[in-house]
Amino acid sequence: MSKKTKTPRPDGTLGIIIGAGMMGALLLAGLLIPWLGKYDPDEISSEQLLSPSGTHYFGTDMLGRDVFTRVFDAVFVDIGTAFAGVLIPLTVGTIVGTLLGISRNRKVNSFIGSLIDGINAFPFLIFVIALVAFIGAGLSSIILALSLVNWARYARIARTRAVVVNQQGYVEAARTLGYKPSRILFRHIIPNVSSETRAYALSDFTIVIIAVAALSFLGLGVNPPQAEWGAMIKDGANIITLAWWNSVFPGLAICWAGISVAVFSEGLTKRIGEGNQR
Amino acid sequence: MASSALSKGKPTEESSVEQKVPDKNRIALRRTLIGRFVRSLIVAFWVMFIAFSLLRFSPGDPIRLALGTEATEETVAAMKAKYGLDQSFFVQFYDYFTGFFRGDLGTSFFSEREVTEVLRMHLPVTLMIILLSMGAAVMISIPIALSVALSRRAAVTYFFRTSTSISLAIPGFFLALLGLLLFGTVFTWVPAAGYEGNFPSNLKYLWLPALVNCFSLVPILSRVLHSSLMDTLDEEFVETGVIRGVGKLKFYWSYMLRPSLAPTVVLVSYMVGIMIGGTVVMEMIFSLPGIGRELIEAVSTRDYAIVQGIVMIFGLIVVFTSFIGDLLGYLLDRRVTLS
Repeated sequence: MSKKTKTPRPDGTLGIIIGAGMMGALLLAGLLIPWLGKYDPDEISSEQLLSPSGTHYFGTDMLGRDVFTRVFDAVFVDIGTAFAGVLIPLTVGTIVGTLLGISRNRKVNSFIGSLIDGINAFPFLIFVIALVAFIGAGLSSIILALSLVNWARYARIARTRAVVVNQQGYVEAARTLGYKPSRILFRHIIPNVSSETRAYALSDFTIVIIAVAALSFLGLGVNPPQAEWGAMIKDGANIITLAWWNSVFPGLAICWAGISVAVFSEGLTKRIGEGNQR
Repeated sequence: MASSALSKGKPTEESSVEQKVPDKNRIALRRTLIGRFVRSLIVAFWVMFIAFSLLRFSPGDPIRLALGTEATEETVAAMKAKYGLDQSFFVQFYDYFTGFFRGDLGTSFFSEREVTEVLRMHLPVTLMIILLSMGAAVMISIPIALSVALSRRAAVTYFFRTSTSISLAIPGFFLALLGLLLFGTVFTWVPAAGYEGNFPSNLKYLWLPALVNCFSLVPILSRVLHSSLMDTLDEEFVETGVIRGVGKLKFYWSYMLRPSLAPTVVLVSYMVGIMIGGTVVMEMIFSLPGIGRELIEAVSTRDYAIVQGIVMIFGLIVVFTSFIGDLLGYLLDRRVTLS
């Protein structure tokens, strides 16, 4: 990739700072809202559908609840669910994929390999919707469904990577030195495989944040009255011509969260250097 | 996904001109193609098996759910016998599997509708949206990727990469709502409800959903096309083209796009999966009578037979299109090594 060296390129630090700052600010606001907020997120009042003003920054919804409080009350519900929905498949997929990549049993390898391809063949959102339908709606089943679907993508990446890592000199050296297989696996192979899957996890995080909100938007997520961005957009969608603030502010919150992760990971990729990835 | 598609485009030789493929190569290629095909069949089998198992492993009794709480043991048993649910797991799967080839995917537990009938009625709308979105995305991506690749300025590339990743971070359903608010209420360019099935008249219902889908498609497509264009720019024949003073159009097409197209085509076929997910949400928002809306409806009423059929068909569509995409990718660029 020599053609990119002619002009100095932004090295991505700015992206990392902006992304982390945006996410940090969102999490901080979510943390502080129970302490500093003037309203209870679930408290119903008679001040229905007030437009944004000095007392209600984001206005109020159909039940007179303060939209500002609810948007930030939902931060940990949304980000937390998405985080768990990335972390679990990342862990499971990396371990399964690595084991497949270094195993010599061809039958098991091609059997599980084709199962992984089979799971990956399903459109992501469709499969999650179907799984949630079978295990029941709710945040924990969204996490379970995300894990059941997404581990296969991580496993595919990890397997390809593990085959390469397994042939590297340092792994051979560790073997020659007579280290225990478990030590070689956890100290030498998995760290090198997971650098790849973690990079994917970061770009996956944006997708999962959106997916969690989309599932709630489709009515498969949280139970009312819990505030959640997708559900809030859904409730506001019917009255959007009447009270746009009900849908727009939670939507902007999702954009904020998604963009912060995207900018962060873009900066990180640039920082590490495009030549090094893959 | 993007990286695997990219690596396929990596040229293995310096020259792109290839008159005669050695016989040995051709045989090896045929073998890999057949291997790909067999693999797709195996994956398709898994897809059917997974979709089928969903229902059987779900907690709770779907029949009891369908009949309601006041159903007696006898009626439940009779229903089960009617749908073959009293058989063992493998007998049921055998019936389902052979039924697929007879064009029978079972019937709804509630409405007695045949699953194939539901698919026949609603799948065309969904496919139409997907086709429109894909077409529009390709049309938008090519000029963007070309101009960014040719500008070769770091700032332009940086802006391009940042704006595409920001665009990916905006949820389609939110964008669709805003679009509906703007074009449906303010400008009234989009009919608020209803649908006409015939080709030219249905466009006025479908253009906005397709456009919204583009916001997630164009970033991915243009980025892959951009990076394969950058690889092509490194090739010597591009310089030759410049030196020979080839006409603009011929240069863009023959020297730049044509050699860079293969990874993008492979990617487009892989992206059908993402598309389907986005389209389901669009159908819900724009109340279009597509298969996605049927899916959500079936999910909320727990009509498992319908859910199972729709999920399986979508899985099979993805398996099929990825195979076709690999094939096309090879035809476009003979240097592609099928892995």
